[in-house]
Amino acid sequence: MGANPVVILGALIYFAIMIAIGWYSRKAALNASDYYVAGRKVGPFVNGAALASTYLSPASFLGLPAFIFLLGYPFWWALVGIIGGMPIATLLTAAPLRKYAPTSFTDYYADRYDSKWLRLVAGIPTLIAGIAYVTLSIVGTALFMLAILKLNFNVSVVIAALVVFVYVYWGGMVATTWSAAFQGVTMAVAAVVGAIYTIAHFGGINGMTEAVLSISPNFFNTPYANEKASHALMGMWTGVVGFYYTWHFGFAAMPYTVVRFFTAQDIKSARRSVFWAVFFGGAMYMGLTIIGTAARTLIETLHPFMQVEGVKNAVDVLKHMKQVYGVGGAAVTDYSMIAAMEGLKSPFLLAVICAGGLAIAMSTAAGWTMVLNVLLGRDLIGKVFGSNWPEEKPVQVTRIMTTLVIVICTLIAFNPPALVLDISGAAFIVILASVGPPLILGIWWHRANTTAAVANILVMTFLSTYSWMYANTKLGSAHWFFLSKKGGIVTPHQFYWVFVGFVFFILISLITKPNKDEIVKKYSYDLRPEN
Amino acid sequence: MFKGLPKVFWAGMGLLYGWFFLFFLLEITVPGFPLKKFLGIPGCYLYNWILALWVLNMIVAVIFYE
Repeated sequence: MGANPVVILGALIYFAIMIAIGWYSRKAALNASDYYVAGRKVGPFVNGAALASTYLSPASFLGLPAFIFLLGYPFWWALVGIIGGMPIATLLTAAPLRKYAPTSFTDYYADRYDSKWLRLVAGIPTLIAGIAYVTLSIVGTALFMLAILKLNFNVSVVIAALVVFVYVYWGGMVATTWSAAFQGVTMAVAAVVGAIYTIAHFGGINGMTEAVLSISPNFFNTPYANEKASHALMGMWTGVVGFYYTWHFGFAAMPYTVVRFFTAQDIKSARRSVFWAVFFGGAMYMGLTIIGTAARTLIETLHPFMQVEGVKNAVDVLKHMKQVYGVGGAAVTDYSMIAAMEGLKSPFLLAVICAGGLAIAMSTAAGWTMVLNVLLGRDLIGKVFGSNWPEEKPVQVTRIMTTLVIVICTLIAFNPPALVLDISGAAFIVILASVGPPLILGIWWHRANTTAAVANILVMTFLSTYSWMYANTKLGSAHWFFLSKKGGIVTPHQFYWVFVGFVFFILISLITKPNKDEIVKKYSYDLRPEN
Repeated sequence: MFKGLPKVFWAGMGLLYGWFFLFFLLEITVPGFPLKKFLGIPGCYLYNWILALWVLNMIVAVIFYE
């Protein structure tokens, strides 16, 4: 299998459009406010499309079809949980945070909890999640580079890192808001086109379902109702519910989406942005559901590698691919979505899919890198340690931080520690259990206080990170309850810490001293819709 | 706690969670439920793929947002 000129042309057209948008919008970035929050002048359609492309990452585009490929139909509910979390954010955090209108994710923690050191404390889990996300974005970009150029995986990682680096180096939130909006439309169109090709190949939804069942008879099996589950991780109700809730509250509390609420023109625009994010994100997820469902069938009936001696099924195809291209770590299963599309043997389709994949990977990498740049530069060097450098030279600081972040993440990307969706799940659980309760309850509960915020962030960051890594290394999967055994209790990504985090935060708040009344009024009561 | 969140928020949450738990309960108690035909196609494509994944979320987003 060599590189196809049509696929390369598709990628070049995508890059040409990105450069044109970047060049045009760069002229608009005049000062630090423009650079960090796009001058707060982005309308709901553009901001919504940008929200979708920033929030949804290669963990969605590659990871969700890969997990449907592995776990079967019950995993569809995880996709419902992710999109279902979006409208909830409209009233829970998007409108209040736009009303407050900060520049950085950690501004709210420092103001609401009345201490500059909260920036440092909230920065710890944000840094862990950010490194995880930029890494998985580089892995995702590399897999699409591999699909386009048919190069060795390590070479693809280097090219991917350079592409992401140049892209983020180009401009701040202005460039990335406009180009992220284009990327949001591109990724949705790509997934929908992929699904249409897939359904048409089987002659309709019924034909596709029959073909899937002929290759994977247990695919649509559900826990308890069938003697055999679609997968061991889907044998308990906690598997389905756990995956539903792993990413569910992310849209309301993840730093890289929360900052996009800041770029909206006004509160009305911030609320309407969420509708457009659901529109584009939901359309893409509908496409990915179909691609993931048909992936095994498409690979086993159509992929050219099925002709290779010793290759008997889809897993063998991916193993062969790992061998041929030297794909590091667990990343090769993430290639199943691309392999399924390669099976349909349409260069046009593969070009569209690769453009969509590059779009979603680059926008997420840019969104997270900007969060980390602001965190490391403006927040920590500037606000915590008192240097004027980030305010005087925001572009210089951003570019130095970008270089640092991308070098670290590239080194990890050569040998990814887990599937991209697993890396994403870990990042979400760490963030949602630690900084989620102080953010959401900080707005909606007057008793939320500094002691509880510090205790919750430190304790939950440690517990969620430790239990996830313990289960992943000692039990072979992050989805077994870390105190049980392999094949024991299913708790995807140790998701229960999100709920434990809220309870822990409430208990500590109730037994410790509340914050000053004027602080609570300004950063809690006044941000609510009726005030 | 959550004082000031409009009632429509809880209605929207109730709809989304109610839908998920109702159909998930049917899936784990009725053998073969996802594949039972409705309007000529397996039901899971209607209640999960089209409605739960996209349409209901868009409706709730519009209802949420003088």
